[in-house]
Amino acid sequence: MKKWLTFLMVAMLALVLAACTANKNAGKEPGTTKEPSTNEGKSEGKSEEVVAAEKVLLLNNGDEPTSFDPSIGFNAVSWSALNNIMEGLTRLDKDHRAVEATAEKIDISDDGLTYTFTIRSNAKWSNGDPVTAGDFVFAWKHMLNPETASPAAFLAYFIEGAEAYNNGDGSVDDIAIEAKDEKTFIVKLTSPNEAFLNIITNPSFFPINEKVATANPKWHTEASTFVGNGPFKLMSWNHDVSFEFGKNEHYWDADVVKLDKVHWAMVNDTTTAYQMYQANELDVTGVPSEIADQLKDSDELRVDDQAGLYFYRFNTSMEPFTNKKIRQAFAFSVDQEEIVNFVTKNGEKPAHGFVTFGFIGPDGKEFRDTVGDLVSFNPDKAKQLLEEGMKEEGYTELPKVTITYSTSESHQKIAIALQSKFKEILGVDAELQNVEGGVFLSEQKEFKYQMSRSSFLHDYADPVNALESFITGSSMNRTTWSNAEYDKLISDIKNETDENKRWELLKQADKLLMEEMPVFPLYFYNSTSLEKPGVSGILRHPVGYLDLKYADKN
Amino acid sequence: MAIYIVKRFFMMIATILIIATLTFFLMHSVPGSPFDEERTSNPTIQANLEKFYKLDQPTHVQYFDYLKSIATFDFGPSIKKPNETVNTLLARGFPISFELGMVTILVAVISGITLGTLAALRHNGIIDYSAMAFAVIGISVPNFVLATVLIQQFAVNWNLLPPATWSSRMHMILPTLALATGPTAIIARLTRSSMLEVLTQDYIKMARAKGLSPVRIVLRHALRNALMPVVTIMGTMLAGILTGTFVIEKIFAIPGMGKYFVESINNRDYPVIMGSTVFYSAFLVFMLFLVDIVYGFIDPRIKLHRKEGDA
Repeated sequence: MKKWLTFLMVAMLALVLAACTANKNAGKEPGTTKEPSTNEGKSEGKSEEVVAAEKVLLLNNGDEPTSFDPSIGFNAVSWSALNNIMEGLTRLDKDHRAVEATAEKIDISDDGLTYTFTIRSNAKWSNGDPVTAGDFVFAWKHMLNPETASPAAFLAYFIEGAEAYNNGDGSVDDIAIEAKDEKTFIVKLTSPNEAFLNIITNPSFFPINEKVATANPKWHTEASTFVGNGPFKLMSWNHDVSFEFGKNEHYWDADVVKLDKVHWAMVNDTTTAYQMYQANELDVTGVPSEIADQLKDSDELRVDDQAGLYFYRFNTSMEPFTNKKIRQAFAFSVDQEEIVNFVTKNGEKPAHGFVTFGFIGPDGKEFRDTVGDLVSFNPDKAKQLLEEGMKEEGYTELPKVTITYSTSESHQKIAIALQSKFKEILGVDAELQNVEGGVFLSEQKEFKYQMSRSSFLHDYADPVNALESFITGSSMNRTTWSNAEYDKLISDIKNETDENKRWELLKQADKLLMEEMPVFPLYFYNSTSLEKPGVSGILRHPVGYLDLKYADKN
Repeated sequence: MAIYIVKRFFMMIATILIIATLTFFLMHSVPGSPFDEERTSNPTIQANLEKFYKLDQPTHVQYFDYLKSIATFDFGPSIKKPNETVNTLLARGFPISFELGMVTILVAVISGITLGTLAALRHNGIIDYSAMAFAVIGISVPNFVLATVLIQQFAVNWNLLPPATWSSRMHMILPTLALATGPTAIIARLTRSSMLEVLTQDYIKMARAKGLSPVRIVLRHALRNALMPVVTIMGTMLAGILTGTFVIEKIFAIPGMGKYFVESINNRDYPVIMGSTVFYSAFLVFMLFLVDIVYGFIDPRIKLHRKEGDA
């Protein structure tokens, strides 16, 4: 009996020791990378010293980046980093316009189809190699290779031969991209595209150092093997914990880069991140929704437009939304102002059309302003439209309406607000249905919902990107709505080379979409963040990626 | 004993196989796919991705591939993190969860048993009441609430400890406290009630009558019997805490295993779901097995092999 007791004691002791050893290892492994943050954690005085000596910006990425292979990392957690450790031919400037970056000169042929990029002679990789036209050819072909299975490849379908290669019908040699010489890169498009220079600011169009990637296909998985060409270089990457950038002395425009280091934590919980911000362990953080109201007037709050919107889809094959007037009636009974002021309370702009703010036309005017409000709260019109619609369909009683949303507190609040509005204005008792996120997306695509929430974020900065979602059969349509006139408008827009005419067509498309109302808009997205005093120059674009090139911290 | 262990071993394998099979078919019966996202779903892109992860194969082929992956313990790449294999994720996450869990369990066992014993010895006294008040609070306050409060007080207001992330020993203190409070309370209550029962037994009176010192009576005679219920719950508690607790890991940004369980299901990341479920269930089954063995050591009345023979 005594023996067993001794055995238990020894076992316990062994476990304690095991835990301690595990402890030491865990401490050691990230030791090299964690040094700065441990210093900051320890004492205020020490962290100030560090800042005085060198400028270290403390950011939070929320999560482990999906991948630093620019063809694979197709989401915000990858882009925030990639956009700063690599650079494409063009880059967005402070006014959100695509300007020359790795390319110093861009020639566009008269028909708008052929782009000739001249790459800067002093554009270099972080290992000192020159950036060549061949690196771009290599990277773009890597993205389009069906075996890479890049989620970004569709963005390159504007390029001749790209789609055919990506879906397996064509050959890699038929893609119309070419390195004419070391520094000249030529691309031929299928049709003229005003947005092309903007599209290629997306990290999936960044170059890949061919020499490095051929020698080691896993070059992008660790900091030690990663080679980039951006304002910063990847110094360390402690997976799932943090990564760190240092200034890239080989960058062609290194003089304007002010920060010495950027430390990225990966804290997924917004409340914790906010507490770290309060404890000076982060310089920038998001706004936790629970306390958004309290922080509304904070000096540290920063609100940026984001090109995208929250909207609802009708299923135009399900009664009663087969009828246009009934769709309109529901849309006109929604009060967008009320939703942003009392439900979301995050300072968003109410949406009265489908195309977001931030697109300036050839006349120098804001697209949204010239088109004006296409749908807004109008109880009388809503009631009248419902009556007319019901008469057209011969309903004495409206078929049951169900509002479906994916599980989330914010979606639920909005759905409840809509439900009460439909009851108040139209006298319709709509039911609410809450569905788990993954199930929701797949069933929405199978047209199983009568009326369901949705959102859209631009892939590139052009109104057509939002509008083309609703052409017949598009995977982004998800309403079963099909309109020949609309399809033609979108295809005309894509082939129009005259910018004034194209802009007119875009306006017509936005109006037609809001007239037919297969969807109704609620609000345009924004991004809110808190920034410590002294932090400046961080660029956030309505469509685009966090840019730290000009960031500073004092 | 040896026969019992061999038998139990095969039972364990069978249990894991059943769990794995159920997981596989449940997972595939849930609507949605790893590639369902709000923004893009270009059919070509989708087809390329499905081919890459062999999801274009018929279900039975996928099932046998999966069984093979269990046998070789190689679950292939994660879908949401294409650079990483499931094995890498588990190998990286588990030691961290294990470390945190081990420390938590130690804190919980030591403080729980101490509190419970003290409470029982001073039955209806001040120590008893305060220990039980602590236990009731510990059980009823969810650990995520406690975690947020701890960060706010210790890190933000008093600036004593780092708020979150996983970089040094100091970073371990708050998550350990948050995680250990619940189990401590449970263990304290269990110890107290069984201790009270044991202390009224005849053999304790006998020991007292013999003139043994009170400390000796408690440690050698009473506690040993009183610990049976604690050992019973230890198996599941250990498996639960050691394999990661999603909420605490999320709040403290600890790169443990917990988040892979939860996120992989939300993301329909099939390889990660399968890998982590098999790993978790194997661990749980093994822990239960250990507990059964430990019973025999602590309470000689439980004869494992004879029990098997009787049945």
